[in-house]
Parts: sequence; C-alpha cells; structure tokens
Amino acid sequence: MKNSADIAAGLILILVGTGAIVGAIGLRLGTPTEPQPGFFPFLSGVSIFILSSILLVQGWIGRTESRISFGEIRRPAMLIAVLIAFVGLLESLGYIIVSPIIVVLALRIMGIRSWRVVLTTSVALSMGTFILFDRLLGITLPVGILSHLGL
Amino acid sequence: MDFLANLGSGFSIALSPLNLFFAALGAVIGTAIGVLPGLGPPATVALLLPLTYKMDPTPAIIMLAGIFYGAMYGGSTTSILLNIPGEAASVVTCLDGYKMARQGRAGAALGTAAIGSFIAGTISIFGLSLVAPTLANFALKFGPAEYFSLILLGLMMAVYLSEGSILKGLVMGALGLFFGTVGIDPVLGATRFTFGLSRLTDGFDFVVVAMGLFGISEVLMNLEVLQLRDVFKTALKGILPTLDDWRRCWRSVVRGSLTGFFIGVLPGGGAIISSFVSYAIEKRISKHPEQFGKGAIEGVAAPESANNAASTSSFVPLLTLGIPGNATIAMIFVALMIHGIRPGPLLLQEHPNLFWGLVASMYIGNLMLLGLNLPLIGFWVRLLRIPYHYLAVLVVTICLIGAYSVKNSVFDVGMMVAFGIMGYLMRKGGFPPAPLILSMILGPILERSLQQSLISSGGDPSTFIQRPISAALLCVAAFLMLTPILKRIWKGNPPGRRT
Repeated sequence: MKNSADIAAGLILILVGTGAIVGAIGLRLGTPTEPQPGFFPFLSGVSIFILSSILLVQGWIGRTESRISFGEIRRPAMLIAVLIAFVGLLESLGYIIVSPIIVVLALRIMGIRSWRVVLTTSVALSMGTFILFDRLLGITLPVGILSHLGL
Repeated sequence: MDFLANLGSGFSIALSPLNLFFAALGAVIGTAIGVLPGLGPPATVALLLPLTYKMDPTPAIIMLAGIFYGAMYGGSTTSILLNIPGEAASVVTCLDGYKMARQGRAGAALGTAAIGSFIAGTISIFGLSLVAPTLANFALKFGPAEYFSLILLGLMMAVYLSEGSILKGLVMGALGLFFGTVGIDPVLGATRFTFGLSRLTDGFDFVVVAMGLFGISEVLMNLEVLQLRDVFKTALKGILPTLDDWRRCWRSVVRGSLTGFFIGVLPGGGAIISSFVSYAIEKRISKHPEQFGKGAIEGVAAPESANNAASTSSFVPLLTLGIPGNATIAMIFVALMIHGIRPGPLLLQEHPNLFWGLVASMYIGNLMLLGLNLPLIGFWVRLLRIPYHYLAVLVVTICLIGAYSVKNSVFDVGMMVAFGIMGYLMRKGGFPPAPLILSMILGPILERSLQQSLISSGGDPSTFIQRPISAALLCVAAFLMLTPILKRIWKGNPPGRRT
C-alpha cells in the first residue's frame, strides 16, 4: 500500500534538496583544497536529495508503514491560524491588545464553554505575563497603538 | 588528590547562596515540568535561556542543568499515578509503576523512583567527575579530521537512537545541516540562503527553533487528543519502600545507574533510550520475568535510576568534546556559547570554576530533589489537577514572549511559529526533531573541520581514514548505519523500517 504521507514528505524534501543544490552552485563550490561558500551546502543538499528520494521510493512501493493519523485536526489547524494572526498583529496592535484576544480564541478552540472562565483567564494571563516580563524582567513587549498612552 | 581538591573548590562555588538558589530553582522548575505532561525539558530550557543572558554563566548553567535532571525525578510521578509519562524518559515507568499504584503501592513506587534516582544521580556524578578530565585530555589531541568524524558519529548516534525510522532521522539530520548553513559562512564570510532578509544573516536562532520544534508543536499535538487526566486516587501511605522492596530492587538500581551512565556518555545517547535498555536488561536477567508489566518494583527502580544517571552523564560529551548528545543538552550547549564559553576539551582548563561548580551543584541538586519529591509529593499531585487547557495557553503565551525576548523582534516570533508548524507536521509524519536541531547546531562546526582537514591534506578525503582515531570513529558510524540493513538481510525483512 502506498504511503501518501511519506510520498508528500519525500517530494517536499526533494524540492528543498534541489533548492539547496542550485543555491550552493550559485555560491560557487570550489575544490576540496579551496572550498568556496557553496561547498558544504552542496553536500548537504545532495544528502537531502538522495535520502528523500529513497523515502519517496519506499513510500511509493509501500515499504514504509503508514502511521499518519489525524485525530481532531480542526483544533490544531485553528490554533495555527490564531498564532499566525498573533504574529501579524503583534507589532501594530501591541501585546496588551493582542494577547487577551489570542488567549480567548485559544481557550475557545480547546473547547472551554464558560465565558466567565475564558475571560477571566485571558485577562489574568495577559496582564500577569505583561507585568512579569515587561515590567519586572525588562523585556520590552510591543505597545503598538497604545504607544501614545505612554506605556 | 587533584580530583578531591577540584571537587572541594566546586563545592565552595556551588554552596554560595546565589548558586544554591539557582540550583534549587532549576530543581523545582524541572520537577514541575517533569510532573506536568506537555512541556518537556528541551522546550523549557529554551524558554528560560533568554532570561539567563544577563546572569553570570555559572548560576545560569547550574539552573538549566537542574531543570534537566529535575525533570527526570518529576516525570516518574505522572507515570506512576496517571499512566501518562510526564516526560519521555519515564514512558517505561508506566508499565510497572502504574500497576503498583493500582495495587495500592503508589507510595512504594514513588519512593523507589525518587531514592533510585538519587542513588543513580550520585553514582553518575561521581563517574562524570572521574571520566570527564581524562576524556578532555584525550580530546585535546584531536585535529580537525578527528573532530569531523566525531561529530558525524555523534549525529549518526542521535539518528540511530531516536525513535522511528532511521531513514527519516537521516533526512532530518541532512536538513539540519542545510539549515545550519543559513547566514554568514563561518570560513569565508559570504552570506548564504538569507533570501535578502537581514534578520537571517546570523542564521536561525537555535533558541527560537527549539521553542517551536519542542514547545509549540507539542501543544498542537496534544490539541488533537485533549485527554482527560484521571489522577489515581489512593491514599499515599508509606512513601518509603519496605526493607523487602529494597532487598528486591537495590541491584536493579545499581545496574540501572551503570547502564544509564554509559548510555548517557555516548554522543546521541540519553535518558530516554537508557530507560528502555535498562528495563529490557532487568526483565531478561530477572528470575521472575513474568511479573514485569504487572507491578514489579524492579521495573520502576531500573529505568528511573537509568534515566537520571544518563541525564547527568550526557554532560560528559558536552563538557569534554563539545558535542551535545540530545536536544536538552543542545540547548545547554547554546547557553554556554551565548555566555562566551566554548564547550570542548579546553573548557575544563579555561573555566574550571564553571565545570567543578556545576558538578558539585548536581550533587547538591540531587539531594534537594530527594527533599522536594518525597515529602512534597502531595503538592506535585495537586499540580496535576490543573486542567490541560490552562497549561497549554500558558505554554503558548510564554513561547510567544520567549521568542520575542531573544532579540525583541517579531520576526523571531514568526520563525518560532513556522518551526512549531514544521515540528507538528514532522511529528505527524514520524520525523524525529532531535537530529534536526543537533545537526543545525553542529553543522557549522562540522563544516569548519571538514574544510580545515581537506585543506591541510591537500584535498585528499582519505585523510579521514588514514588517521586512526578518525577511522575508528567513522567505522562505528558506518556500522550503526548498516546494522538495520544487515539485520534485515539476516532476517529477510523488507527494508524501510527498523525492526
């Protein structure tokens, strides 16, 4: 039986390996006595290419055991979306605004029904981490649009 | 006696109030994350690393080391009471530990694990302080060719000992080597694979990568199966094992300690594999193997001793050869580098205070852990009642802040999320994360030693097999890679999976 996960992984990694090889050639390889910057990336690219080709072939002829199973894929996918949103909004909106929203969304994704629990946790966690890291430990978290408040 | 004098000065350093405080802090954090499933030692060390930037190196490393060995103590508690490993190195402890708890012997199991860990930790620290100076002296003779072969062997071991398919481990190792080339070339100074992003000129930040690979991806995995924890409700009576228990298991503790020590010393070896090996040894030599898996106390004593001994002895390759053997030690490697200390054979000469202070702090830390674990067991059990979702949001929030704090940059937060997603997909596909991060860290050193040895040999690659130490190391590496294939030919099994 074909192992589609390994085939997909093999294909992606073959692309990465090819990219590494092409990029390394662009950086010039040199000779073993006079290696240029592309020398080592070329070797690693070739290794990735060969090993992932073997993986692809093994997946194709069904010699690898299919182990991939997605349980509740919806929850991790949603959390990933929330994390990407956090990265996108952190600088412009600032930590104090983004973090409680993120915590609310994350808790809802994890299936917490009670809004009281969700809201208290998000406010407590965001404020707690802000005070701990920004005020006490001196890590300047982005203030974003609240900058004119003098935070 | 040099050794005793050195250890004496180590104790005078470790017993300073500041270092004592950080050893205790490390031990407490370690126990907590060991008890709580969902955040392992590599992610924790990566998270706390940025906070140590402004500290002196000695207390910083003492604390980070405490987290590592403290987690080994804590991990057993969850395995025994919940049948869920709090930490990967405590997986086998579930087999007999949980059965013991069900038979009303949770106290004896917890006590055996803690006392066994303490004895093992002590034996291993003693071994470490004896072996490390000798090994460091030996490694001083290494040239670039030997280093190249040694790193290659270390990476192969990490692949060989990681769980799952060797091929996938190798692919991850190769990918890590490539990722390690991103940024400025260590030899010629050219910029490579940065895609014009100035943020990437220093390469990937290992701390950020580790937070993603081990912290975020773990949360994503756990979200798929939000498990309800059911703490085994039993009156914890008699935490101390009985005299009869001791008679049965003291040999297992000693064997487990020795097994753990030797496996931990190997590059690529570590706590996880040592716990499995020592369990298998105990079962094989036991007079009543049928009791294993049904609540045999030896099945708790041996792996718990082994994982603790191995976590201590895995400092040996780090401190003497400069080769981190597993993901947590790799983070401590990064911590040393950030503090301007180059791990390797010269560390002992250049920073004797750090080395002996660390060793002595481990003795003290083990004693503290015994005090933390046995009398406070009730507190740790209560910690387990915290629902997972609180823990998950806390881990995610701290990872996000932690990644930001490395360089005050949102770019790093994005990187961490990207590596978190990658780590999640890797776990789903059975690709082990440890070889990736190890070869990312070791890649630049591997590249430099490869180039130096090729240049000095006039471009002749046979230099690696003409030099005896290098040749021996390469032979072992080749043997490791060939064993699964040979085994399959022997048994006539299809290739592709490790048997």
